[in-house]
Amino acid sequence: MSPIGALLYGLWQTTSVQASNMALPPPDGAMIAAAEQELQRALGMQLPDQPKPYYVAYEFLDGEYATARARSGVLDAFNQDPYRSVRVEVRVGDYALDNRRYEGDFGEREGVSMRTLPHDPIPVALRREIWLATDEAYKGAAEQFSGKAAAREGRPVPAEPVGSFQPIDPVTTAVSRGAPIDGDATVARVRALSARITNIAGLENAEAIARDWSGTRIVVTSEGTRAWIPTGFSVVRVEGIVRTETGTRLRDCRWWVARTAAELPELDEMVAEVEAMTATLRAASTATEERDYLGPVIFEGAAAVELFRQLLPPEISGTPPAERAPDPYSEVDMAPLPTARIGRRLLPEGWTVLDDPAQAEGTAGHYERDFEGVEPQSVQLIEDGVLKKVLMSRIPRARTDGSTGHGRGLGMDAREAMPGAVQVRPSKAMSNQKLRKRALGLARQADLPYVLVVRRIEPPALAEDFEVAFTGDGPLAGLTRPLEVSRLYRDGREEVVPPTLGFVGVDRRVLRDIAGAGGPGDWVGVLDAPNGPRRFSIGSVGGLPAAWSVPSVVITELELRSLGGGQPRTLAPPGE
Amino acid sequence: MPQSEPSQARGVVDAVFARLPVALTVTLCLTASSAIAGDGSDPLLESMVSEVERTMSTLASEETPPYWLAIGVVDERSWQLDGTHGAAGVPSENHRRVGDIDLRVGSWELDNTHKIRDGGWFDSPERFGIRLPLEDDPDLLRTSIWLAMDDTYRSAVRRLIKVKTNNAVKVEREDSSHDFSPAEGIVDIQPLEPLEFDPAPWLDVMRRTSGRFLDYEHVHDSNVTLEVNDQVEYLVTTDGTQLRHQRSRVRIAVWGATTAEDGQVLEVYDYIDTAGIDSIPDEAAVMAMVEGVAQRVTDLRTAPIVDPFIGPAILRGRAAAVFFHEILGHRAEGHRQKDEDEGQTLTDMVGQQIFPTFISVHDDPTLPQWGATDLNGYYPYDNEGVKAQRVTVIDQGVLEGFLMSRAPIEGTAHSNGHGRRQPGSAVVARQGNLIVTADDGVPYEALRAQLIERVQAEDKPFGLIFDDISGGFTLTGRGTPNSYAVQPVTVWRVWPDGRPDELVRGVDLIGTPLVTFGRIVGASDTTAVFNGSCGAESGWVPVSGIAPDLLVSEVEVQRREKNNDRPPLLSPPTPRTLPLPARGTP
Repeated sequence: MSPIGALLYGLWQTTSVQASNMALPPPDGAMIAAAEQELQRALGMQLPDQPKPYYVAYEFLDGEYATARARSGVLDAFNQDPYRSVRVEVRVGDYALDNRRYEGDFGEREGVSMRTLPHDPIPVALRREIWLATDEAYKGAAEQFSGKAAAREGRPVPAEPVGSFQPIDPVTTAVSRGAPIDGDATVARVRALSARITNIAGLENAEAIARDWSGTRIVVTSEGTRAWIPTGFSVVRVEGIVRTETGTRLRDCRWWVARTAAELPELDEMVAEVEAMTATLRAASTATEERDYLGPVIFEGAAAVELFRQLLPPEISGTPPAERAPDPYSEVDMAPLPTARIGRRLLPEGWTVLDDPAQAEGTAGHYERDFEGVEPQSVQLIEDGVLKKVLMSRIPRARTDGSTGHGRGLGMDAREAMPGAVQVRPSKAMSNQKLRKRALGLARQADLPYVLVVRRIEPPALAEDFEVAFTGDGPLAGLTRPLEVSRLYRDGREEVVPPTLGFVGVDRRVLRDIAGAGGPGDWVGVLDAPNGPRRFSIGSVGGLPAAWSVPSVVITELELRSLGGGQPRTLAPPGE
Repeated sequence: MPQSEPSQARGVVDAVFARLPVALTVTLCLTASSAIAGDGSDPLLESMVSEVERTMSTLASEETPPYWLAIGVVDERSWQLDGTHGAAGVPSENHRRVGDIDLRVGSWELDNTHKIRDGGWFDSPERFGIRLPLEDDPDLLRTSIWLAMDDTYRSAVRRLIKVKTNNAVKVEREDSSHDFSPAEGIVDIQPLEPLEFDPAPWLDVMRRTSGRFLDYEHVHDSNVTLEVNDQVEYLVTTDGTQLRHQRSRVRIAVWGATTAEDGQVLEVYDYIDTAGIDSIPDEAAVMAMVEGVAQRVTDLRTAPIVDPFIGPAILRGRAAAVFFHEILGHRAEGHRQKDEDEGQTLTDMVGQQIFPTFISVHDDPTLPQWGATDLNGYYPYDNEGVKAQRVTVIDQGVLEGFLMSRAPIEGTAHSNGHGRRQPGSAVVARQGNLIVTADDGVPYEALRAQLIERVQAEDKPFGLIFDDISGGFTLTGRGTPNSYAVQPVTVWRVWPDGRPDELVRGVDLIGTPLVTFGRIVGASDTTAVFNGSCGAESGWVPVSGIAPDLLVSEVEVQRREKNNDRPPLLSPPTPRTLPLPARGTP
């Protein structure tokens, strides 16, 4: 830079810093000042014979989290720390065709980089981190763009070009900050809940883990967006593990997910749930195992939510899969096929599915802007059982109208469409009693003396079966294990079944075999991620919050088999 | 592939280097005590004792009872602070407890830990760590131990079945020594004094010292970190051993990096290890480290790259210490003499002259300090409950013996207190403080003159001085070339015509051990200390190396692996003013 240029730049820099700092308190002022300065410079970057960035986005994540874990009322681990990072996304090319949505070979870079930021809001220190991340992202973007161009070389151009990225008008919001978190309350919660799993023979684990995360996502883009988006969640997960006299390992869980700790159920309510779980485990530890079942299954409450939220998202999320490098040794295009197919029947006639995060206040799925700053729309996804519309981020898809405000993603991942607050409604709701009667009728037709009722299925984040976790980008090739199952006899008698069963051969098509449904279900909070392996690797307290309201359902025929496992302990527990 | 590595940089790739144990301290009061049983003062220790006793008595009636059992626990509190470009990061404080169970079934001669020859990828004994609560709840402590104990026992019984069959299927072992050796029980319960550390004053030091990097235009990335670690180690064994001792370790470290025009990422890391917070260097010393690192990064950026070269060289003390750690130390570890997958370079050389007569080497973990420098490799007892001992490895060039854990080898039946591990790993023989001494050492300047004489006599264009290193590694197995590499940070080219020494970059020092042993032709009369951490089969353990400057008649260097990204396209942001807090003493 020439001396005059440096002087002018310095004057501009000073003005910009002061203006921003006057307008905003720290740390926002420092972050915005740093972002503004680096954004202007970033747009001028250019590698030899390579395009300049046409789009640069800085996504700051600034907040605080507390994570606590306890067993049997005793603290196992605790951390409470602030968190601040920047995610830099650089796009080269143009909106019609840019570097993103392309998966190169293993190890190839993309146009995204992330760095943690210092706790002190000192502009030059923040700028240094942004500068290095931007440089990395731009170089990655150039490489990704060339990889995409090379992959397309000699191949037919897609018949229906839809562009790489949807332009939007700049978004500006008021400054907002997340609420402070109370780490002591997080600790108290896990102590209290884990202490309530007690008085069961063979108890091997009585554990509770919780995380409270509260922060702000500050989005600064070269399009002019300056948005403060509240973010965070509060999650509590409880697990009890019992080993029976014959050595079988039984496991049950409870979990709650809310936008904030204040929106969690009262502690007394959670304690009551844990005590109910304990009672179920106690009963299951002496109950008769179910070895092999083929017949109707009732999914109630949280189990119905898991059924839908595991099977439906790939069918309603419209983000198309990324292009992939061609396999040089195969003529077959290995790119995954889009899963959400408008016009496909997903549910029985008359059923509807709506996603409306803005109107779902008080639920884990509520938000006012997605991670790209777009306000979420109310999307009527399924009408009369058939997929009519899909959820969208700014990644375009043919025959859609652009983002529906559902673009979210974890870390450096692309911001893809994922469900926010989903309501599943049947054509005709029946009473719980009628639903059971319908299921028993189906059981009679199958020559069964009882029907299985599933009340809880493990969330993928808590699944211990690894085969579920490696299903690639396609729809889930199964359903995680049921945690609470009972036999419902014709005389109304119910008996607990030990949770040793696994579903066999379940996919989205079972939803078309729903033979009856109850009334609207309560909202249930979940932690999830956009489609792909990430859904199963978010960890017990990671992911993005969403909420589902689903009725209880009976499915005409499902197969469940005992997965068995476990052997008796050689050593007796201490004190016995 | 054992590695020694003192350097620390930022980012994911540093995970293996990030936890660098530093110097340790403990004021030993070796007063044997048995006052722990049942007095309620240490529920963790009491739980360990009671579960060892209960396990042994309960399983005694099993068809395959354990013959030896140990529980080891590390209770660790740590703090980490960092500063970058004048801003402090989030200070973190952590508390964790990790526990290990070592249980042996079979007999001292043949047990479940015996190597399964030509086994599959996962033929090593399974390990079940103990998940311990942070609070001293006796019931949960004992339950946690029990769960891991039961898993460990069943796994041990299963493995012994496979071991016996493997012995029947395979040919006779070359080394028929036992799998484990007895040791005397030791009771040494040290009083505990929880470390009180207030990070607040240090945050300003982090800010001020890290901000100094901003004055160096070409240092693109940097940080200053302070790690404080307070550990209580417990060990209870069926030998009757009950140990509890505490050690504090502190490292203050400075890291700076840039990218040269040819794409090579250049990193310089400097650090000071101390055995307690009272001896952390003052701000002026940290600032001097920052300035040294920043200047070295700046200088390296324009330093020429050395082509592959064979010729004479001097290894300055720290580099020489790592050199010996790699070429000799790992090959002197006892278990390598027994494992038939190992190269066993030294196994049959005991009593033979393998170094020049002026070189002697011993490993002495009992030394807490060398001069005024705290030593990382100090420990009072090893992880098998054996008192640390000084071991002579080389005496006037002759191989005398090996570093031993409780796994015997032919010719050496007992441990000499070198069985070590990182929590979570099985114990093997490791180095502690490896000390190289040389008779008839000369002042460094005289050694340098000898180097120039050799360059001239051999008509070489130049010689090399390896001034500082970032680490190294060695390959000791039979399936790979038996070789080593030492990764220098600072290398000087020494011209025979009197030109000033020239800083160069981009080379690694490589070679094979037996050839190298005989090429050491001179040494200085002063020593230097390398404190670092060594990674091998039993995880990362803190080590030290002490050596004089060494003149080597012939070394080989190869080009270093490098990145290829252009340097950052834009100039680094610079401060107009830095809102730093007032200078003060922490």
